[in-house]
Amino acid sequence: MVMTMTPLFGIAAARLLGSAAALLFLTVLAMAAARRIGTCILAYGCQSALLAAEVFAVAYVRHSAAAWVVGAMVLVVKTAALPWALLFLVRRLGVAPRLEVRVAPMPSAFATAALIFFSFTAVQGFASELHARENLLAASVALMLSGMWLMITHRLALMQVLGVLVLENGIFLAALATTFGMPLVIEAGVTFDLLIGVLLMGLLAFRIRDTFEHLDVSRLRRLRG
Amino acid sequence: MNALLLLAPLLLPWLAAGVLLSLRRRPAAQVLSIAWIFGGLEIGALGALVVAAARHAQAWSDYLRADALTAFFLLTTGLVFGLVLLYAAGYMRRVPPGRFASLPWFYALLFVFLGTIVGVYLAANLGLMWILMEGTTLASVLLVGFYNTERAVEAGWKYLIVCTVGLALGLFGTIAFYLAAVRGGVGTAHALDWLTLLRNAKHLGNTPRLLELGWVFLAVGYGTKVGLVPMHSWLPDAHAEAPSPVSAMLSAALLNCALYALIRFQEIASGALGSAYSRHVLLALGLVSALVGAMLMLVQRDLKRLFAYSSIEHMGIVATGLGLGGAWGVYGALLQILNHALAKCLMFFAAGNVRERYHEARMVRIRGLGTTMPLTASALVLGGVALAGLPPFGLFASEFAILRQAFDHHPAAGLLLLALLSVVFAALARHLQGMLGGRPVIPPTGPGEAAGGLVAMGICLALLLLLGLHLPGSVHSLLQRAVAVIRS
Repeated sequence: MVMTMTPLFGIAAARLLGSAAALLFLTVLAMAAARRIGTCILAYGCQSALLAAEVFAVAYVRHSAAAWVVGAMVLVVKTAALPWALLFLVRRLGVAPRLEVRVAPMPSAFATAALIFFSFTAVQGFASELHARENLLAASVALMLSGMWLMITHRLALMQVLGVLVLENGIFLAALATTFGMPLVIEAGVTFDLLIGVLLMGLLAFRIRDTFEHLDVSRLRRLRG
Repeated sequence: MNALLLLAPLLLPWLAAGVLLSLRRRPAAQVLSIAWIFGGLEIGALGALVVAAARHAQAWSDYLRADALTAFFLLTTGLVFGLVLLYAAGYMRRVPPGRFASLPWFYALLFVFLGTIVGVYLAANLGLMWILMEGTTLASVLLVGFYNTERAVEAGWKYLIVCTVGLALGLFGTIAFYLAAVRGGVGTAHALDWLTLLRNAKHLGNTPRLLELGWVFLAVGYGTKVGLVPMHSWLPDAHAEAPSPVSAMLSAALLNCALYALIRFQEIASGALGSAYSRHVLLALGLVSALVGAMLMLVQRDLKRLFAYSSIEHMGIVATGLGLGGAWGVYGALLQILNHALAKCLMFFAAGNVRERYHEARMVRIRGLGTTMPLTASALVLGGVALAGLPPFGLFASEFAILRQAFDHHPAAGLLLLALLSVVFAALARHLQGMLGGRPVIPPTGPGEAAGGLVAMGICLALLLLLGLHLPGSVHSLLQRAVAVIRS
């Protein structure tokens, strides 16, 4: 890693890279324990902001122009546009702010804590082989797993969208933690896909509400066998 | 010259979609003729690229590349798209009301769908390949939900969510390969280039556990899109609820496209780790898919779901062929892809005719096909014979090649496949026989078969027969070059 001209900021940036993992775990736990959909969206926004900060730290430490662009992209798309779009959907779809869950918040938070613990054991073998920071790698696996956890424990269609977004954040972090991110063109393409994907998911959510008059995906079971 | 060859088939569909969307207020005949003109241009562009790439690999910048394997898949895709255009003209006479549900939107989305599929084939960069693969899901989800009924909306939602999550895992696998390449000393700018990775496969082998992990994630991720069991849950719903031309595109073009991605990664994985590991994963997934697909065909009640499960079964057979490897296994798998595409176009076209005529797809409610629509009924019977892998159709030849490879090296797999083929035959015979005879339960009031659709079905049958009786020399040599790309 190249040290910068002003070591103080460089050290601060490197510290941020390491300590962000703990904050990421907090956002994941907050989502699992949330009783209102607004809380989940807020937690997702914070999570994305942390990722943006990490990318900026990488950009600063490694003097990478491409990483600055990626960081700006994360900031605009994932911390601003997507949470805004989700809040817009909540309002326009007339979703009740209280979440109907299949697993109560407390057990769900415990399960997520267990997933975080599991991620640490899962990455142990790889972290040394890859010269990556173990806690960041564990955070990325934890994000992926808890994204899937959100998808299977919630009935609301919008929470599945949020689950996909958390899963994608985990994958983004995996690339960041191990190789300082993929090439700019590819990151831009993936982000673009994500935007269009959320747009289409929102569109389909409107269609589900209009044809079924609810947004409970566990009650979509016409197609069997 | 290269730029034109590679960019024309990639960009023409987008241009077509733009032009079609500007025609939203025009009469149907005008939309149709514009779609056909662009379709013809696109097929011409694909044809030129297939001919050029079959001889020498073509490349443009770091991002686009086409070799003989690409050419083979593009040939299949171009053929399928032409047939779908021919069929759709007659099929889309009745368009339901709703947003994004009009003839220009249908054709525009169909062209965008084709554009993303062609893009996957041409991508030289594995990251770009992933982006376009996700693009195929995004482009087709509105087509799957085109009819806007409860069932179509449910199928569309499931398709979008399941495939997005599946492909997200595939992205993780792609990152693992990228990481292995960077650790192996490949510069970050080129660590996603397929050709660079293949040439440096030995260096990627320095981190074997990472590559194995990545390959499993890729097999699960892209396998979701291929419809391999147990990640297949989206496939029957999407195939059954989409308009029939779209079902044909999904089954005959999209599934192959995901298989193609798996083949590309498998080449790198076998270069780095030796072929055993990656092949065994494919073999296991393939056999399970063939088994589950064939068994579930027996109990289907919906005509289009029957053919959807048949797609799962056939993709299982192709994956088995690729997993077996060897000259016969890979050759058979590729030939099977072409044959299956033609047979599945035929079957979904016929099923679409039946559904339009009877306003019904439940097989118990469909009776007396033999008298009400004799041509479609004969197509269903002949297509059933082809799907069951019986001579004189092409699927017999390709399945024979795969079986030959199996009995040479994995006799147990060969026996299982052979047993499954008889299950498939039983399932198709049972379901089709019921529908052909008897008197209609409900009087068929829908429109009869359109001429374009019948021509398309005739072409499918003629080509299947040709591939079964005498494989044309040019196709054979293209296949051999494609096999050489895989086994190089």
